Amino acid sequence: MSVKMGSSSTSVIQAQKLVDQLRVEATMERFKISLTATDLVRYCQEHKRSDPLITGIAASSNPFKDKKSCVLL
Amino acid sequence: MYWICSKSMATQELQINESLAHLKTESESLKTKLEEERAKLHDVELHQVAEKVEGLGQFVMKTRRTLKGHGNKVLCMDWCKDKRRIVSSSQDGKVIVWDAFTTNKEHAVTMPCTWVMACAYAPSGCAVACGGLDNKCSVYPLSLDKNENLAAKKKSVAMHTNYLSACSFTNSDMQILTSSGDGTCALWDVESGQLLQSFHGHAADVLCLDLAPSETGNTFVSGGCDKKANVWDMRSGQCIQSFETHESDINSVRYYPSGDAFASGSDDATCRLYDLRADREVAIYSKESIIFGVSSVDFSLSGRLLFGGYNDYTINVWDVLKGTRVSILFGHENRVSTLRVSPDGTAFCTGSWDHTLRVSSSFSFSLFSVISLSPEVLLTHCVFFFFFFLQIWA
Repeated sequence: MSVKMGSSSTSVIQAQKLVDQLRVEATMERFKISLTATDLVRYCQEHKRSDPLITGIAASSNPFKDKKSCVLL
Repeated sequence: MYWICSKSMATQELQINESLAHLKTESESLKTKLEEERAKLHDVELHQVAEKVEGLGQFVMKTRRTLKGHGNKVLCMDWCKDKRRIVSSSQDGKVIVWDAFTTNKEHAVTMPCTWVMACAYAPSGCAVACGGLDNKCSVYPLSLDKNENLAAKKKSVAMHTNYLSACSFTNSDMQILTSSGDGTCALWDVESGQLLQSFHGHAADVLCLDLAPSETGNTFVSGGCDKKANVWDMRSGQCIQSFETHESDINSVRYYPSGDAFASGSDDATCRLYDLRADREVAIYSKESIIFGVSSVDFSLSGRLLFGGYNDYTINVWDVLKGTRVSILFGHENRVSTLRVSPDGTAFCTGSWDHTLRVSSSFSFSLFSVISLSPEVLLTHCVFFFFFFLQIWA
């Protein structure tokens, strides 16, 4: 009997935690995707030129360049 | 006496059931309200906003270095801030520090346990942290003396009640963040081993974590077997945002470079992008032909490319804004288990169950590289083509 009571009160504690968590999340300020996505796009565009994996690096300055002396098509 | 006790117990039980029912109703209505709020903000898709952005075309990625030396599956790796050293850990209990330029092994440590699932390089480059089935996270200071036994200076920092799945130093060598199969994340002081903060909220094993870029403040994101990705406030221990759209375990989470979003990779074969300010998923990176789980994800420096290591031995590269795949890299002979882009963005390293690590980068063909061909090679090429055309004519 007392074991059953113990598990019931744990369920109450868990349920209360869930409600508290949801209340915290409900108070958050959210923004429209049209605004936030524009910022994501802008960040990409601003940093595109300094992204070596996109622009590629000249073989002479690439620290991982192959030790071979030719590039086959 | 017994009758009085059982009656008060029955009353208590009734009260508890009433409270439970009341709390359940409230949580259901809060959840519905949250869904409504999130739906209101869904006025456009990310790829629509990115329509005017020029396409990337197809990329060719090439493996530049293969690091061989582990005796079993590579489970985790991390780059040093010096952009050339790498620490990796494997199933056989070995943790190795490599110089990725030369492929030399600089340090090796044998852990007392197998399945070292997590490893991390300290920001100073002077120590590494690792752990796994021992349920602990240990820090090994790296000595300049190659002959010194690293295991002698080992410091046990974190203690969990189940396996360590991921670890990361914060901005300094002084604090470590860990995630565990026991369902929690925790922040530890390295010097004293003291628990500074614990993070409860996942309903199952936590498999991965990533710290927000330092400019955006004290938060981190974690992903788990409960299919949830949670964003936490490091100071209060509070979960501030939670996302549940994946259909299976989340194996990897990584912040977008600006800190306003994060990507996740899951056993459901998809990668997803979650926008933190819109508080919702804004993109899914998937293809019908991709059916194997994603073990690891990372962004390129600008955030335009998302690299995913998959259980079908491949690496898929996605255009984050347009949602399309721009490259696929083969080479590993077993599952890709870990993937990180180097700190300066020039290359990315992948670790695999095939016991190797590979460092790869974009293969860009440019006129400059043709001009840099040595004269003998150029002459050989010309002679070859001359005879080739001669044959066609004849």
